[in-house]
Amino acid sequence: MADNAVNVTLTIDGVPVTVPKGTLLVEAAKTVKQEIPVYCYHPKLGPAGLCRVCLVDIEGMPKLQIACNTPAADGMVVHTRNDKVDAGRAMILELLLVNHPLDCPICDKGGECDLQDYAMAYGRGSSDLVDPKTRKPKGVDLGPTIVLDEERCVVCQRCVRFDDIIADERQLVLKDRGVRDIIATSTGDPYRHNFTGNVTELCPVGALTSKTYRFKSRPWDLQRTQTTCTQCAVGCQMFSDVRYGVPLRTMSVEHDAISDGWLCDRGRYNIGFYDSAERIVQPLYRRNGTFVQIGWDDAFTLWGKALREALRARGPEAVGAIGGGRLTNEEAYLLQHLTRAVGSANLDWRAGLARQATPGAKGGTLAALDRAQAIVTIGEPLRERAPVLWLRILKAVRRGARLIAAATPAEAAAQCAGLAPIALVWDGVDPALGAAYDGAFAGFAEVATFIASEQGNARGAEAMGMLPAFGPGYAAVAPGRGTRAMLEDARAGRLRVLSILGANPAAYAPNAAAEALDALEFTVVSELFMTETAARATLVLPARGPLEKSGTTLNLTGDLLPLHASLQAPEGTLADLEMLIGLAQQLDVELPSAEDLERAVIAHAAKLPTGFGLGDARFDDGPSVAPPPHVHRTIFDGAGTAAHDPRLTSLRALEVGV
Amino acid sequence: MRKRLYNVGAILKGLSITFGFMFRKRPTIEYPSVKKQHAPRFHGLHELRRYGDGKERCIGCELCSSACPANAITVIGAENAPDDRKSPGERHAARYEIDELRCIFCGMCEEACPTDAIVLTPRFEMADYRRGSFIYAKDRLLVPPDAGVGEAPDERPGGIPGDLGRVAEIKSTTDVARGFSATHRGEILKTQRRGLAG
Ligand code: SF4
Ligand code: SF4
Ligand code: SF4
Ligand code: SF4
Ligand code: FES
Repeated sequence: MADNAVNVTLTIDGVPVTVPKGTLLVEAAKTVKQEIPVYCYHPKLGPAGLCRVCLVDIEGMPKLQIACNTPAADGMVVHTRNDKVDAGRAMILELLLVNHPLDCPICDKGGECDLQDYAMAYGRGSSDLVDPKTRKPKGVDLGPTIVLDEERCVVCQRCVRFDDIIADERQLVLKDRGVRDIIATSTGDPYRHNFTGNVTELCPVGALTSKTYRFKSRPWDLQRTQTTCTQCAVGCQMFSDVRYGVPLRTMSVEHDAISDGWLCDRGRYNIGFYDSAERIVQPLYRRNGTFVQIGWDDAFTLWGKALREALRARGPEAVGAIGGGRLTNEEAYLLQHLTRAVGSANLDWRAGLARQATPGAKGGTLAALDRAQAIVTIGEPLRERAPVLWLRILKAVRRGARLIAAATPAEAAAQCAGLAPIALVWDGVDPALGAAYDGAFAGFAEVATFIASEQGNARGAEAMGMLPAFGPGYAAVAPGRGTRAMLEDARAGRLRVLSILGANPAAYAPNAAAEALDALEFTVVSELFMTETAARATLVLPARGPLEKSGTTLNLTGDLLPLHASLQAPEGTLADLEMLIGLAQQLDVELPSAEDLERAVIAHAAKLPTGFGLGDARFDDGPSVAPPPHVHRTIFDGAGTAAHDPRLTSLRALEVGV
Repeated sequence: MRKRLYNVGAILKGLSITFGFMFRKRPTIEYPSVKKQHAPRFHGLHELRRYGDGKERCIGCELCSSACPANAITVIGAENAPDDRKSPGERHAARYEIDELRCIFCGMCEEACPTDAIVLTPRFEMADYRRGSFIYAKDRLLVPPDAGVGEAPDERPGGIPGDLGRVAEIKSTTDVARGFSATHRGEILKTQRRGLAG
């Protein structure tokens, strides 16, 4: 009877159900496909017992009970629908609507609102209320991203609990009591942190809505595409909602293994740049110091001619390619294929501070963090660098895991003594530091390592062979020159033609990189905007952003994730893949067929790199360059998107602009 | 000979019918100088009404467009600027278009509208040479600011008169005809967002 100690059997609507002991009735009911309405309860936030809409009838109990905070017990007989329950729910809904403005026609939640849905399903359809409703402020500016409608709030406190429990920010509070209660920040300051947008999804009603989406559409107008966020290395799963070819909002996808159902504000709100007027939409060629617009045919001819001439005159050492984390796996694979096909091994994905993105054989899965007893963070704060990874670490800390930050390797190892499993989360910047931690934890039995690289598809670029010393699938090859060495070569006149796709090296160590780029004979830059690097190019190719192309990416834990295009790209732009196909024709290089490419990507992505740890010498590319001026710009540059249009791309600017 | 006489008889008989009609009441009318009286609830061209204070009734909620079985209505909402309120609440229709060629004049839009903003008038004379000019935007749908509130059927005891006597002035058909494509509508959303970003 050991089983009985952990499982209980009860009856829900006449169906016998066996669930683990301690399971809440609301969850137990889901196993027999009985939906119990909830407002304050949320699987990730737990019960709060505030709204009482989840009433159920339990035999033997005189009054209706709330399903969200009643654990299932052996022999319980539960009715989720009967006259008593229906009357109770109808009463609760009537009370919730007493002061509700019912302005559904102009409410951004209208059409996907739990209050609408439950009022239709369980409400009476009429009200005994004769007194006027209490009026409260509407359209309250809560912060840079969120608008609050105080009248619509049903005081479920999901937003408050998200801030306390999940994001650990503790900014939102419930002010006042009774009919006067309102949601506000405790200090009265604007509501601002990295994860604010999630409260708009948690709010069951239209009280908290996004400024960027306000009144732009109704949910039924939107064309929804599931895709992967590329703005950091986590690779959160999200929906891109598009109306008339304009991306109006992104919504999180419940994907417990990757993003756990959350999005950060960068991933959620940084979509305005797609229709920026400053986007480059035609190839630009520098003639006598100024850019002139040219056609794609001429662009390919010029690019091919420059490469052919450099190869003929100076040999393969005179050409090189940098392909940043904006590239999909397919594009990264083709770029290294092309470069290696002409005999050069001058290849790198690293444009700035990052040194390494693949943790090697010890690399853990994101879900493994949920079991870690100790988590050591090394380097830059993760809240900025890999926001949703930070949420998962907070989740582990809530569970009791020890978080160790800003410790020396020896201190960290001492603090972890006796704990297992252990997670090391390194930012991938300083190889010496990474190696030191690797060494300090060598004796521990269960260590999982993570590298939160600053660029979206950095690990994909590495797995596809965008490294001087590794080919696809981390196959060791005769090493060529990395980014730093290529820039040095350029200054010394050894490198003549450099193709930079989706990277902005000039944003880092501006003077040194600029000098190097200026010394080149021919620089090709594929970009969405006139970045620091593009401004120094000979040929600028207008590229497409991640919502505008399809392909795959690898996130920091090596999960192969799909990108599905949801937007029509502006006319005149091409995806980097198409650019590489055009160049291959110029160079007479045979490219793999679409099927072969797909097979190669899947095979190389699945290969687990073995034999190297954090800060491995084979990734080493010399000392790090000076950091760029703004932290968030580093991150944006990683995505390759619009580091140059601060108004539309950075949240910091959004705060000012709104 | 006999046969020929028989034929003359038939001709006379036929002509007698023809001439007979000359003295009967005519079923046709001299349109357009004479116009027919419609049934009281005839469904014709749409009108977007105003409140007494001149504010637009339409709040850009898109309920009409989602109720429309012919998918003829496009609405893009926007927030009212505090210093330039188009409608009483927070939201108004930045864009409101009806493709009258798609419309089947069923009146579902009128039915769905929570503010009685969109109504079908008895006006039916919309003929034009270009398809594009059948897409009516706010410039032709909205009651002009100086022309009162517009007339809703439910506020008209005794039904609708045959001719309302006022046809919304057509500002420019070329303007209307110019590409009302999805791209064009997307431009509106983009422009709005640029305004938002600063
Ligand atoms: S604002 Fe929304 S989430 Fe927050 S308490 Fe009100 S209804 Fe709940
Ligand atoms: S954590 Fe990264 S991948 Fe996830 S939503 Fe934020 S930016 Fe996107
Ligand atoms: S009358 Fe009918 S078909 Fe015409 S716009 Fe209204 S709802 Fe659509
Ligand atoms: S006409 Fe009526 S239903 Fe249509 S958008 Fe305007 S207010 Fe809504
Ligand atoms: S969901 Fe049970 S009380 Fe709110």
